[in-house]
Amino acid sequence: MLCLIGDWKIEGYSLGIDVLDQKVGKIPPGSNIMIVGPPMTGKSVLGRMFFYNRLKDGSAGIFVSTKDTGEKVIDWFKTNDLDISRAKYGIIDCVSRTLQMDINLQDTDRIRYVSSPVDLTGISVKVNDLLEEFWKKEQIRSIGVVIESLSALLMYSNLQTVFRFLHVFSGRIRSVDAAGMYLIEEGMHDPRTQVTLKQLFQGVIETKDEGGEKLLQVIAPGCKVSGWFRYNFEGAKIDLKEI
Amino acid sequence: MIETGIPRLDDFLGGGIPTGKTLLYYIEPGVEGDVFGMQTLYHNLEKGYRGLFITSTTAPEILRESFKELGFDMSRFGDNFAIVDAYSGIIGSTSDERYVIEDPSNPSHIDEVISAAIEEFSGGTITFGSLSTIIDMVGEEKALEYIIKWNKYALIYDTVGIYNFTAWPYSPETLEKIKNEIFNAVIKVGGISKRVVYGQYYGILRVDWTEKVEKAILFKLVRPGGIKAFIPKILVTGPFNAGKSTFVHALSTRAVSVDRLGTTVALDHGYVEHKGFSADIFGTPGQERFDPIIKLLGGEALGVFLIVDSTRPEDFPRAVKMLEMTSRFGLPYVIVANKQDIKGALSPEEIGKMLNVHEEAPVVPAVTTRKEGVFEAFEILIDMVTGG
Repeated sequence: MLCLIGDWKIEGYSLGIDVLDQKVGKIPPGSNIMIVGPPMTGKSVLGRMFFYNRLKDGSAGIFVSTKDTGEKVIDWFKTNDLDISRAKYGIIDCVSRTLQMDINLQDTDRIRYVSSPVDLTGISVKVNDLLEEFWKKEQIRSIGVVIESLSALLMYSNLQTVFRFLHVFSGRIRSVDAAGMYLIEEGMHDPRTQVTLKQLFQGVIETKDEGGEKLLQVIAPGCKVSGWFRYNFEGAKIDLKEI
Repeated sequence: MIETGIPRLDDFLGGGIPTGKTLLYYIEPGVEGDVFGMQTLYHNLEKGYRGLFITSTTAPEILRESFKELGFDMSRFGDNFAIVDAYSGIIGSTSDERYVIEDPSNPSHIDEVISAAIEEFSGGTITFGSLSTIIDMVGEEKALEYIIKWNKYALIYDTVGIYNFTAWPYSPETLEKIKNEIFNAVIKVGGISKRVVYGQYYGILRVDWTEKVEKAILFKLVRPGGIKAFIPKILVTGPFNAGKSTFVHALSTRAVSVDRLGTTVALDHGYVEHKGFSADIFGTPGQERFDPIIKLLGGEALGVFLIVDSTRPEDFPRAVKMLEMTSRFGLPYVIVANKQDIKGALSPEEIGKMLNVHEEAPVVPAVTTRKEGVFEAFEILIDMVTGG
């Protein structure tokens, strides 16, 4: 049957780390993946490299930043020689207005400002605006979305509130065949929080630190379970070795 | 009675909101609906009423800036305008506002501050910038109790209560009470979506002081300017001589065609008002050499009519190609099986099969020269565009 509405095909989303991509394959469109692990284990690098990989392959990217300002996120890519200057992306900055760095901040093509991490409605509106822009104006069907991080949202809003928000948000990702990565700090929330939120995701990238040795594994829908990898990271570079 | 200041909404509400009543904007997540409450507040401050705004998602300074972006300068209202700061306490900062909820984790404290503010601002309006955040802070059950109490206060003190509410997936009981029980009027602010949100609309879900008007208005948010009613574009396409221009003229209250010797060479344009919806209709030429026009016209469209001549299956591959050109934006579409009155016309089912489209794609039998099936097709498409 000819598929007239939505007549496009997205093969899937790579993680942007060769060794892992070869091992697990591509993450199916519409997937929502949680990146969970203790602090300082490179979760941000994994999320940002996933985002960068979307931009590199001509897809679009949406980055919701609840930790760093939008400018700082862009600087990170510059510092690590990752050129995103001509890519299609939008950063939703939930930080700058909260810090009241400049109350006159106006949205730009690249950075959209939300009043605070409490403003989940605002985040949702800005993400929808960007999805519409990529779909309708740019006609891009392959979109990677990163929320860095859920832990900051959970600092200001209770679990139920964040769950409700993510329920709608992850549904939106599924409906447009995008792929979402959601970072969460292990140990910062009670176990119930992690278990509750996990229900919304189809896969997990887990990192851990065992006596100074960093380990990660990927469990994603329709992909092979990666098994544990030993890894190190510096800047945007991640070196992995299968155990 | 006060006005909402939202285009056409006051007409639908019998002139506005009577004092002592409450109105809730029921906003779908992802739709920029918070401006509704802001606009209603500003409109009434301009009319000389006093107004309170409860902020729970943003700092008061940022809120004032947001008003300014909309072209609403709040500084000129002096003491007639005040903010209830329910935000600073969440992030642990201090506040200079007249009313401050210092401990948002304490439901009775929230209630105390809001009740006192309503009392002091009697005769004015009180706008909840985000009722959802208050519910999140207080809990669903307790919040509903308080809302009922605040609404009673509004009645006692001749105040109009305006609420912005983002309809996150709360419990069905809570949503039901909010939609159908505890407010005098509920205005749905929704998104027109097919995978992504293409447009936004508002309409009355319930009102208890006047007859409910079953109309929906599409809107755009303009900065500065606020909420503006919006007329969408609907595209009519199909092969040469399928009856597109006749369809546009049959559907429209007024229409014009740019044609040469009866063949459309640029476009047909019509304006239709039907069952509470108004729309601009654009018909494309059918000949292949005009295909760039389809792409151009398709850019801002919200829905598509594909007109086919039911007696000419040889044109169907061309029809599919034209639909592909427009529906690559993921637009909803209705197939109009025209010329059903001519002998040998294929049935809608046969046409659906031959076009090889999705099983659920509606195929409406029509005779556009007699306006048969035309408005049925329009209603189906509008239902699809607005999510029913």
